[in-house]
Amino acid sequence: MSFEIPIGPQHPIHVEPIMLRLKVEGELIVDVDVDVSYLHRGIEKGLEVRPYIQGLYLAERICGICNCAHSLCYCLNVEQLLGKEAPPRARYLRLIVEELSRMHSHLLWLGHYFHTLGFETLFMYFWRDRERVMDMLELITGNRVTTAYNTIGGVRRDLPQEAEAKLRRALDYLEERMKYYEKVVDGEPTILARTQGVGVLKSSEAISLGTVGPHLRASGIRHDVRLDDPYSGHDEVPFNVVTHDGCDCYARVKVRLGEVVESINMIRYALDHLPSGEYRLKIPPLFKAPEGESLARVEAPRGELVHYSISNGGTNPYRYKVRTPTLANIFSVVYMLKSRGDREVYIADVPPILGGIDPCICCTARVLVTDEARRKRRILTLTDLRKYSQGGRRVRG
Amino acid sequence: MKIPGYFIAEALRNLFRKRATILYPYREVDKIHVPEGLRGRIEFDREKCIGCQLCSRVCPAKAIKVVQDERGKRPVFLIYRCIYCGQCAEVCPTKAITLSRFFENVALRKEDLIVR
Amino acid sequence: MIWEILEAAIFPGALFILAVSLFYEWIDRKFYARLQNRVGPHLAGPFGILQPIADLIKLLSKENIVPAAADRFFFTFTPIMAPTLILLACMFLPIAGLSGLISFEGDLIVLIALLSIYTIIVYLAGEGSNNRLASIGATRAALQLIGYEIPLTLALLSAAISAGSLSVAGVLEAQIERGIWFIAGPQVIGFAIFVVAAQAEMERVPFDIPEAEQEIVAGWEVEYTGARLALFRLSKDLELFLLSGLGATVFLGGSAGPVISGLEPLLHAVYFILKSAVVLLIFSIVRAVFARLRIDQVISFSWRWLMPLAIILIILTEVLA
Ligand code: SF4
Ligand code: SF4
Repeated sequence: MSFEIPIGPQHPIHVEPIMLRLKVEGELIVDVDVDVSYLHRGIEKGLEVRPYIQGLYLAERICGICNCAHSLCYCLNVEQLLGKEAPPRARYLRLIVEELSRMHSHLLWLGHYFHTLGFETLFMYFWRDRERVMDMLELITGNRVTTAYNTIGGVRRDLPQEAEAKLRRALDYLEERMKYYEKVVDGEPTILARTQGVGVLKSSEAISLGTVGPHLRASGIRHDVRLDDPYSGHDEVPFNVVTHDGCDCYARVKVRLGEVVESINMIRYALDHLPSGEYRLKIPPLFKAPEGESLARVEAPRGELVHYSISNGGTNPYRYKVRTPTLANIFSVVYMLKSRGDREVYIADVPPILGGIDPCICCTARVLVTDEARRKRRILTLTDLRKYSQGGRRVRG
Repeated sequence: MKIPGYFIAEALRNLFRKRATILYPYREVDKIHVPEGLRGRIEFDREKCIGCQLCSRVCPAKAIKVVQDERGKRPVFLIYRCIYCGQCAEVCPTKAITLSRFFENVALRKEDLIVR
Repeated sequence: MIWEILEAAIFPGALFILAVSLFYEWIDRKFYARLQNRVGPHLAGPFGILQPIADLIKLLSKENIVPAAADRFFFTFTPIMAPTLILLACMFLPIAGLSGLISFEGDLIVLIALLSIYTIIVYLAGEGSNNRLASIGATRAALQLIGYEIPLTLALLSAAISAGSLSVAGVLEAQIERGIWFIAGPQVIGFAIFVVAAQAEMERVPFDIPEAEQEIVAGWEVEYTGARLALFRLSKDLELFLLSGLGATVFLGGSAGPVISGLEPLLHAVYFILKSAVVLLIFSIVRAVFARLRIDQVISFSWRWLMPLAIILIILTEVLA
């Protein structure tokens, strides 16, 4: 006997609305259907009707947690359109803040991940330690979460005087904590029981499903935009790409723990070698971008983030497109959640598997048409969207 | 086999540590650490403003209304729309706008959230 | 007669047990919070000591919703049965004296049976609410019962064998006679098994599988609101009281201790509360340091480790006795 259970759109493990329809037989999952279309916010359109400088703040709000990555990607994109490049000091400062926000995102994820495993104490500890990172972000950028730090042509403020010493102290503390947490993760059998061998995604599968970011690196693939396409001083600051051959949820935890340590080292190096000079170019706030198109890639905490824009010479972009990492990763969730062959997936494995990709749904939402009168819902397919964009034909639900 | 309960020592150690939470807003309100340079509620200096309206044109949240007063055009800040990005303070040629460290922008009446 | 009714109703009966179990919830929450470097309840009363009562009152005042698809009988019957059963079981514990309010040879078995019936009530409550998540939770509760019930019984029985009596009072008496608590001996294994199984019985981490918040929302109690939920919450608190009290009585010498004549009931109650609070703190620590297991892992864990351990314990006790 099989029946369907809904996980979402409102569910304790989801911070944002996403719908997983699980077909289960007993505790075993036999089929999954994912619906990510609960939170379409029209941001791409919004970006097209705003001057570049206003779009920056909108782009930052695509995702609260990786706001730094989004604003950085936006800035790189617009700078490319303008044919300018941020000065060296700005590049290093951007790197510092980006790595801080990666640490904040990973610590948040780690805490939340152990929460999904029912390990509330670790959750509290991770979030407590994350406060240190938040304080540093607040000190450097002026806000805890939405940093508004990057701007077109550089960064908006210089490193405050007292920041460096405080930053180093926080980094030392966090490094020591991370070492301890690695030991906890390796030493606590209940954690291992829930993560090892759960949500296995082999390297070949990870590639063919197009996963990105830590999720891909946990499948043993050495892929990182910071390495492949250095965008903000990453060619000068040495770092290791953390990979793990486990291909399971345990590997995902280890990769993220390792990346926090890597970020700590990167920030230390950047602080040691911080170039002096200007931290932003003088660019007037309201400007026209020359005609052209550009694409920028950034390694967001969740994976490769792509911003693409077309300019027709006006004050706003003509077309703006954002490809967020979660969208690339969500397909692998469907794959991992299905029991197949000797791979058995239980209902209890849903939180670790879904949590494993670090889902950020609000940047993933796609189009869904709801016909109120006829009470029908239909998800637009690629063909529909293409027709819609070409012919301007009204799409009916 | 690994023995369950690796974490017990750390948990017990935390019993004797100071708690990490701050009882805000019940008690300990002054324990909140607000760094220099936090972007909070906008403060506006009418004397300095020259009425160029640049702030209103860059504001991403459309939180700045331009009105006419006896000395000419001037901005009015709708804090309830403001996203505290600080872009207006950045572009203002005369530095008439500053973002203070005051962040508790809560009010029962909308008028309290308008800075003139 | 009047005296006995008063005893059953107030001290050390229902009212006292309810008050102490709400107090235990506070201890549990506060201690758990401190382990996590948090404050814990701090608003109602000094140090938030009244928070459990405040929560209860809040829930009681909330709207009672009966889903259209739910079975009305089970939906009303189970929330009343759950705390009643546990309260009845609490009466077997020797609190203000050396024997419980109800005490007869073999009451330990009845107590264990009551605990199992409670799980069945939980199962009915889940299935009766006719919700998919609830029914998964209910099935998990019943499945989990298979895992922990036998080790729990064996752990308690080995203490009973060692005492040579099948009543709670008898076990307590044996400890007084020998002048040594059962935990200081081979029964320490029994205590360990008891702690693990009790954690499963109370559905707390790492065995909070039937109500795993992150998986099936609240499991079997997902549909319950208002007063019904309040009653289930209350029965959880009572269960906490019952199991920590049972652990203290069987393994830590319960209410036994030096007494001054005239003050006996009070002193016994104080010993009982102190010792069961120790067990409670152990429960809280266990809750704080593990990740939740999966249902298949629980079953295989208890049959692979707990069961053999319990059987070895029984044999050991038989040999030593
Ligand atoms: S801080 Fe930003 S949102 Fe607020 S008024 Fe200034 S420009 Fe507008
Ligand atoms: S930018 Fe400054 S000077 Fe210009 S209108 Fe705004 S406040 Fe006044």
